Amino acid sequence: MSSFGLGLRTQHYHDFLNGQQAVDWLEILSDNYMVDGGKPLIMLDKIREHYPMVMHGVSLSIGSINGIDKGYLKKLKALEQRVQPMWVSDHLCWGGVHGRKMHDLLPLPFTQEALDVVARNIHQVQDTLQRPLVLENVSSYLEFESSEMYEWEFLSALCRSTGCKLLLDINNIYVSAFNHGFSASDYIQGVPTESIAQFHLAGHQNNGVHLIDTHDHPVCDGVWELYREALKHLGFVPTMIERDDNIPPLEDLLSELNIARTIASEVTNQRAAS
Amino acid sequence: MKLDELQNQFQRQLLAQDCQDADWVSASSRGLSAQFRLSIYHNAYRVRLAETLLDTFEHTANYITAELFDTLAYAYVEKHPSTNTNIGMYGQDFPDYLKQALPSCQEVFEIAMMDWLLRRAFDGPDSLPLTKHRLEGIVASGKDISLLKLVPTVCVYTQQWNSLDIWHAVNQDKEAPVALTLPEPITVMIWRKETSPHFRSLSHIETKALELLQSGQSIESLCEILSEQFPDLDIATEFGQLLARWLGDEILSCNPD
Repeated sequence: MSSFGLGLRTQHYHDFLNGQQAVDWLEILSDNYMVDGGKPLIMLDKIREHYPMVMHGVSLSIGSINGIDKGYLKKLKALEQRVQPMWVSDHLCWGGVHGRKMHDLLPLPFTQEALDVVARNIHQVQDTLQRPLVLENVSSYLEFESSEMYEWEFLSALCRSTGCKLLLDINNIYVSAFNHGFSASDYIQGVPTESIAQFHLAGHQNNGVHLIDTHDHPVCDGVWELYREALKHLGFVPTMIERDDNIPPLEDLLSELNIARTIASEVTNQRAAS
Repeated sequence: MKLDELQNQFQRQLLAQDCQDADWVSASSRGLSAQFRLSIYHNAYRVRLAETLLDTFEHTANYITAELFDTLAYAYVEKHPSTNTNIGMYGQDFPDYLKQALPSCQEVFEIAMMDWLLRRAFDGPDSLPLTKHRLEGIVASGKDISLLKLVPTVCVYTQQWNSLDIWHAVNQDKEAPVALTLPEPITVMIWRKETSPHFRSLSHIETKALELLQSGQSIESLCEILSEQFPDLDIATEFGQLLARWLGDEILSCNPD
């Protein structure tokens, strides 16, 4: 059976400190705690005493042609030692080159050359962390003329060549499928089952002709259906609701997490019945 | 197109003032132009950095109005690409930018400096503070206490304007007083006590004493210099009062160098 978590946000620090909440684990945004000291690390340590954690970063820039920032990797390793997370994840993207930081999850072309670059960078991270890196698929708003394969083929090749794992963001699949006109089901069917380490569920903004991955809305019906399909095909892996903006009270997110539990339970029952 | 070239071109597009079309972006199944789709990233870059500035310089924004702050923030983003992986560190030069952009409102620079330094104190390095209880323990153990060291978040700077009063008013959602130059500049200290950033103004003697501490002077040497510079004051009494306040404020560190 799957386990269920939430992203730890500052608005909910006291909820987690004042009582045990109905989550199996918490996902922290690694970058928020890669600081010298002060309240972020104090709160992190206190909450860590009561909850298992996973680490999720946004700035590794695993697809950068310039390679991994060694200073960043050193800080990531130090945080990993402090938190002792169940796993460490970041995004399949790049975030800037030649010293510039775009602070975004920029898409990669799905080419053999990009595969080689990302694989090289993953090996460097895994050698430092001494554990498999977990990579999340990002939402994207454009594709490249130079791409030679589908995203799921790229991910599969990456898992084969590096042993990395995948954090499948179901919302991001939904958003990119809409924006680029591919089948979300093909994506689910195409990723390697044995490599899936975690699911993210989140909301987005519908702009009519395109979707924007804002993570500031509740999960929509279409994403819930895709989650159900992912459970049926890929099996049960740790799942969480990821809200990055317009943060609601914790109870709202816990209620949303219960929907995920209910769907997982229904899929389990269907499997048992068949 | 090679990955190196693609990432360079993509980044140049994002940093350029106007978003252009690009032949390396494939056709959209929804009929959206490459320029339109690139503009999603182009716009997001600016919004994200401008929001970071607003978060860091909240009091400054409330003082000069959100509309003017937005205009200045977006103009700053256009001219200052981010180079720090930690987005929270973006805006180090924003106070100086405001100084040049608003030459007739120099108090804005000082308020922005306060916002910036308070934010830096918030997640600055930790250090075990020297308290009265800990000091008594050190004295009892016979360890050397001739050198005092400040906690790493202590930062001292000078204000020419009534920026402290303005900052307080903005912080309490009250009408800010009219900006005035002070009869003489004041020194302000910013530091973190426990988990919260603090600030207060300093007297002349405290300013000098902290300057001497930061330069590594021993207590004995510090008191000698203060006696020379403030001959009308009873330095032993003054230093005793300063020490008591520093222990209460937790600005002295127990940590060795």
